Amino acid sequence: MIEKRVTVTNRLGLHARAAARLVHSANRFQSTMRLQRVDDRVSADAKSILSVLMLAAARGTELSATAEGADEADAIAALAELFSNGFGEAEI
Amino acid sequence: MNERFKRDLREERWQGLGVSEGHVLGRVLRIDNGSRQVYRALLDESEAARELDRFQSALKTARQQLLGIKEKAEKELGPEHAYIFDAHLLMLEDRKLREQVEGYITREKTNAEWALRVVADDLLAVYSSIEDDYLRARGSDIEDVAQRILSALTGDKPQYANLTRDAVIVSADLSPSAVAELDLQHAQAITTDAGGWTSHTAIIARGLGIPAVVGLRDLYRRTRTGDTIIVNSYEGEVVLHPSAETLEVYQRQVSSRTSAPAIVKSAPALEPTKTVDGISVVLRANVELPVEFEGVIKFGARGIGLYRSEFLLSREGVLLSEEEQCEAYLEVAQVAGSDGATIRLFDLGGEKIHSGFGNERNPALGLRAIRFGLRNEDILRTQVRAILRAAAKGRLDIVLPMVSDLADVRRARAIIDAERTLLTSEGREIGVVKVGAMIEVPSAVVLADSIAREVDFFSLGTNDLVQYMLAVDRGNDEVSDWFRSLHPAVLQSVVRVQEAAANASIPTVVCGEMASTPAYAVVLIGLGATDLSMTPAAIPRVARALAGIKCEDAKVISIMCLECSTADEVEQTVREQFLKRWPDLFHPGSLPAGKPA
Repeated sequence: MIEKRVTVTNRLGLHARAAARLVHSANRFQSTMRLQRVDDRVSADAKSILSVLMLAAARGTELSATAEGADEADAIAALAELFSNGFGEAEI
Repeated sequence: MNERFKRDLREERWQGLGVSEGHVLGRVLRIDNGSRQVYRALLDESEAARELDRFQSALKTARQQLLGIKEKAEKELGPEHAYIFDAHLLMLEDRKLREQVEGYITREKTNAEWALRVVADDLLAVYSSIEDDYLRARGSDIEDVAQRILSALTGDKPQYANLTRDAVIVSADLSPSAVAELDLQHAQAITTDAGGWTSHTAIIARGLGIPAVVGLRDLYRRTRTGDTIIVNSYEGEVVLHPSAETLEVYQRQVSSRTSAPAIVKSAPALEPTKTVDGISVVLRANVELPVEFEGVIKFGARGIGLYRSEFLLSREGVLLSEEEQCEAYLEVAQVAGSDGATIRLFDLGGEKIHSGFGNERNPALGLRAIRFGLRNEDILRTQVRAILRAAAKGRLDIVLPMVSDLADVRRARAIIDAERTLLTSEGREIGVVKVGAMIEVPSAVVLADSIAREVDFFSLGTNDLVQYMLAVDRGNDEVSDWFRSLHPAVLQSVVRVQEAAANASIPTVVCGEMASTPAYAVVLIGLGATDLSMTPAAIPRVARALAGIKCEDAKVISIMCLECSTADEVEQTVREQFLKRWPDLFHPGSLPAGKPA
């Protein structure tokens, strides 16, 4: 299992569009992927949009991302990339 | 009909805001965003198994519907407004939702509707406790999806699949998803209880040339589908259950309203519009959404005089990337053809900006339009780069919104020039792009002479000019009596700005909603305008009015108007003179009616 810290950087946080991108990306991998808020115990299945939305991760939220499975390294890299480029959202 | 169900069908009238012109009679089609009542049924073992199948096939049906809606939204509203349906699709396919509903059905032996309601309510309860305002509001998406599955379960067809030809859509507020789902082209008219001039409904209605009245407060709950209704957007009036006399008046008004006929469906001749005395007038299109592109060609516009680029933003205020914007502008250029398109840089702020951004006490006077761009340079630069690149393959110009004076122009031009240089050094192909100024703030009117020397053209935005010149909020009902397009101060500004442009040998395009009303267009021509940009559907009727008048006569009337000291006097003058000179062209109902002095 691999773990990596990520931070929500886009202004709107993990809203519907960002969550949709995240889930689409996660579903391309076989590994089990989870996201957990660093500040409390709430955790989510990264392949479920409802679950991801329940994280209520606004801008600045720190999350611990984990992946476990055959392609766990690629899975974590793809996920971290999405967070670091703010889900491809230029911001107003 | 059973006596018990008969209602008292007394005529009732509502006053709202006419946002897209027309006067029609039709039958109410209520479009609700409303919820269905769900009841609990207890099942035996075999029924519960069947219930699981029912739930599965409802998910399939809902999925098919959503795919269709997404495709339609992409085509008509643009990808930035369609992505939300991607999220809806993912929710529909979400394992968490499916497993919980199936678990509940199996465990509690209830019908699928009840199980779904319980599960959705649990999810919504978690949502309503979220602290972030914006994320909390996303609960409505979950409810949207739940409602869609519920309607698939009960076998309801989407309620508005096929509109009858006389359907008048009556709604409390049309959501983007309802707008995307409706075949609005076939609607006779649209009314909503909420909304203003810039609401999505208003914009789309204007683009499609469908009459619309918004801001009707409680019309929706007072109607039933099938009720007879008259929508008169010229007066901003809606009449429900019109009496025999009202219907007679309606017939008379419609048959005599020669200056505002039904929309011309065929492509008009492409020769330039000319007044009787041979003055050529260029008529261009104002557009915002892809659904309106068709109208640019259909109604014979000479290119796009104003492209309101802020509609590239999704409702969340997420901005497209440089690549995505470049593609969008290229499409605009292709639609505009050889006459080209003028892209107005993001006119953000005030009512258009997402509520999560800033809390200005006075947004109309706040950080908006070019001020916003100069403060958020990266956004401005991205947009400028996209336009310059798209201009390599089509004719595009840039207009700077809401400039106050030369300081704004110089700063914006410096950024545009810097990006031009940068793109060239990157080896990117760029096009020649002219840079103009929107004249819509009083200071820019006063300083028009100096601004004209450093821009390539003027765009006169009459909507905002009226608002700022007269200090009247156009969205505020309380002061609507003070919002007068034909105010002498506005008319004198139009003259002043055009003179400044002529002295500097640059062109002026007049591009407010004023230009789309035939009588006002004639006044503008009289004030010296020869280049008008308007909502595409208005082009045929404006062209017809202009082809029927002498520019010389319009000038005489305009000089009389310029000598007036109040808006009432101007409107009286316009009314009297138009009816005297062109009784066949202008029906009294299409002319302003100032109070007699």
